[in-house]
Amino acid sequence: MKNLLIAIILATFLASCTKIPEIPVSDVTIGGGLFVLNEGNFRSGNGSLSFFSYDSLKIYNDLFASINGRPLGDVPNFMIINEDKIYIVVNNSGKIEVVDRSTLKSKTTITGLISPRYMAIVNSNKAYVSSLYSDSVAIINLSSNTIAGYINIRRSSESMVVSGTKAFVANWSGGNEIMVINDLVDKVADSIKVGMEPESMVLDRYQKLWVLCNGGWDRQNFAELDRINTQTNQVEQSYIFLKKEEYPSCLQIDGFGQTLFYLENGVRQMDISASSLPNSILISESGASFYKLAINPVNSDIFVTDAVDFIQNGALLYYKNDGSFVSRNTAGIIPGSMCFRLQFNN
Amino acid sequence: MVLLTVPLKAQFSFNEDTVRINEVVISRKKLTSDLSGYKTEHIDSSILKDCSNLTLAEVLSGNSNISIKSYGTGGTATTSFRGTGAGHTQVEWNGINLNNPMLGQSDLSLITTGLIDDITLYFGGASMSLNSGGIGGIINLETKPDWKKGTVISLNAGTGSFGTYSGLLKVKSGNTKLQTVTRAVFLTSENNYRYLNTIAGAEPVWQTRSNSQVCQEGFIQELYLKGINNVASARIWYQSAKRNLPASMLTEQSNSYERQYDESLRIVLNYDIFKGINNFTFTAAWIVNRLNYFNRLASIDSRNLSDIYSIKGIMDRRVGEYTRVRLEFDNEIDVINTNNYNHIAKRNMSSLTVSVQHEITSMIGTSVLFREILDKNKLLIPDFSTGLQFRLTEKQEYYIKANISRNSKIPTMNDLFWIPGGNPGLRNEFAYIYELSYVMKQQLFSSFSMNYDLTLYRNKIKDMIQWHPGEFSFWTADNIQSVNSAGLESSVSVDYSGDPLTAKFKAGYSFTRATNKSSIYNNDAVKGKQLIYIPENQANAKLSLMYRNIYASWTANMIGKRFTTVDNSSFLPGYFINSVSSGIKMNIKGISFDTNLTIDNIFNINYQTIAYYPLPGRYYSIKILIEIVK
Repeated sequence: MKNLLIAIILATFLASCTKIPEIPVSDVTIGGGLFVLNEGNFRSGNGSLSFFSYDSLKIYNDLFASINGRPLGDVPNFMIINEDKIYIVVNNSGKIEVVDRSTLKSKTTITGLISPRYMAIVNSNKAYVSSLYSDSVAIINLSSNTIAGYINIRRSSESMVVSGTKAFVANWSGGNEIMVINDLVDKVADSIKVGMEPESMVLDRYQKLWVLCNGGWDRQNFAELDRINTQTNQVEQSYIFLKKEEYPSCLQIDGFGQTLFYLENGVRQMDISASSLPNSILISESGASFYKLAINPVNSDIFVTDAVDFIQNGALLYYKNDGSFVSRNTAGIIPGSMCFRLQFNN
Repeated sequence: MVLLTVPLKAQFSFNEDTVRINEVVISRKKLTSDLSGYKTEHIDSSILKDCSNLTLAEVLSGNSNISIKSYGTGGTATTSFRGTGAGHTQVEWNGINLNNPMLGQSDLSLITTGLIDDITLYFGGASMSLNSGGIGGIINLETKPDWKKGTVISLNAGTGSFGTYSGLLKVKSGNTKLQTVTRAVFLTSENNYRYLNTIAGAEPVWQTRSNSQVCQEGFIQELYLKGINNVASARIWYQSAKRNLPASMLTEQSNSYERQYDESLRIVLNYDIFKGINNFTFTAAWIVNRLNYFNRLASIDSRNLSDIYSIKGIMDRRVGEYTRVRLEFDNEIDVINTNNYNHIAKRNMSSLTVSVQHEITSMIGTSVLFREILDKNKLLIPDFSTGLQFRLTEKQEYYIKANISRNSKIPTMNDLFWIPGGNPGLRNEFAYIYELSYVMKQQLFSSFSMNYDLTLYRNKIKDMIQWHPGEFSFWTADNIQSVNSAGLESSVSVDYSGDPLTAKFKAGYSFTRATNKSSIYNNDAVKGKQLIYIPENQANAKLSLMYRNIYASWTANMIGKRFTTVDNSSFLPGYFINSVSSGIKMNIKGISFDTNLTIDNIFNINYQTIAYYPLPGRYYSIKILIEIVK
């Protein structure tokens, strides 16, 4: 009893360590918008969750901490909505926070993961979680929200895309392969050699897998964009970047599966039928530090995060689909992965 | 000469039943600041004796106004003088720089206080009398002989909470011509303390710290030989530390098996010649540092070995009755062998320092220092320092001191060569330092004295090296930051030396405002904000009492809130930690015994100096010191 009392007092005390703003919860829990995961600084535990409301055109920061009374964790890297739940993958905390889609209240925490990075929903009962530091992809039981097993792919894993009964898993860190998992039996079925360090992937309207390979941090290889036939697991076409200095990242696609977007010295746009990489920049950085990119699947509005110097609060930049600037809202430290909650008609 | 030698109060002299509170400990040979107008602070020799089984980080955090940042017991601990960074503090051993050239800093958790005879803090410009680079200050550690005939054997054994065991053996032997000193120390701890995790889930839970074991050992062997007008000495200091590194409270994943192995070997040869008005000192040193870091989870196996070869020559000449001139030449060669650079990195740096101290009148002293550094065959902009000191009255020791300095710090080897992101084109950082002090020492009654000091300072640091996101996916080092720090430091001490009761009270307070002055990025929100982990307010106090052979002390340490984000949106709350210690001293058949019980953090405060790295609550330690004098 004494310990509990001390715990409550200390919890109250420590909760006061961060300036948590008054948040009109209705703005967040009702209506559509965009979640932004702020990674925070490695080992500093200052990752957070923000929400940009389409209704109010405002951003609401520190949502997880203010609603649940504790910090989100160390380096939240990815989030995905599945039915009435949101899964937030917290990399350096080795966990997935499961929160209610409407209230953002914590429902449970999946722990025991090794450096989790991304999560892909395979079906209503199963998801995969990639790992930077282990050689296995974790299988999550979405009914019980527990780790159901592992698939050993013998290499680290990063972004993932599910198409039919196949899950494509990028071997990013120092790698150059896409592992193909048969998600019916949870086993590696094939591997596809691509460019150096496949960093991000999307599916187009024809179920072709586009893989953006950044070429590796040491700039010994050219970056490339590869298109893969998901039926044959073959690379159909490779677009090679012209200079080794080009370091593209964050491949996205619009809601029609027709237009690709990525970051390379600004926001670039490319039709999936294009014969070459785009020369022009749709949105220039103009002194900002573009970090992550998201495309509204309904109206192709463009959202980019500005990490500024990666130690202070960054910002969410909002552009219309023609690249015209709309707004800039201050987010948390290193605003990264974004996730749309679509409950509106615009 | 208007020399500000701070008297040391060896309060609880262990060798005698009668306590002499005003014992003055005088070093035979000191590479200390003789320059007028500067601030230095001695850590009381009684504190060193009481805290012989503690680390330097623990002693300084409770007994000085410099800020200590620690990852927890046994974990890496660094220091900040006056709002500057850890790299702006130098740790020296008898004037030889111990900072790791790769990191440019020292880990204060690796130095056991019992190995050291004397600790002096040199603030700001005062540090320039020892070396360059200590923009914030220098912590100078001294080991020395006492030139007494006979043998003194000291054995200090201790144990405490969390499976902690420590031992220290010191043997001093010799005569007025030859002295040998041997010191050996070990410390081992499970560090498995309980802490309240307020963030792991919806409800706070008590957890036990894991993967936090530490094991340290070390020895110092010294040999001193005194001639008619010279002293030769050889010193060897070896130490090693194996540490498991616990994760932050935020980490849910199973053990990452992070661990670190530190090993150092320091060999210093010294030869002093005293010829009338001239003194000469020649020093040669070889220091090897090994720092290996392993993280099984992240597949990191970082192996780092640095060799430092250093020579130093000093000529100190008295000119007339009131002037002293000092000429010093230093050369340091650093050789780094690491799997984090793409080659074996070398650096050769030389410096020439000229300083003059002059007593204008019996009440006014002044000093001037110039230093020229030759780095990579390039002469840097000279550093300088000038100080002025007034004694206000002849009867009492009231002083006003002021100094202005320009000090510089060369980049660390990691800043230059780390792959990726190291930048060989970095310039040295530099700072202008301004300081004004008032010092008062007053003997109120025959058994009652009081000291007081107040210092105002301002540092302007330019071209500070900052790692920032580069063009590609990695960060790179550049000279892009400017920082201003300003504040005040004040301390008061009161001594009562009666019979059979002696008492001493000392309290200190510092206010530090350290802000970022550079605005580098669009929408930069850090300009004018307090630097992270620099508390604005810090205070400490210690009350020591001794009645006959029974003693007790109370120590309080207050640290104000510290921001943890550069835009000051989050902070760690301040804390107030109290510790008590008590013991009894006995002498049985010529053998002295000192038995001591200490309770740290008596109010069981839950606190952190680095966010999400919990520190222990209340814990206990007992130790016994046996001393045999032959």
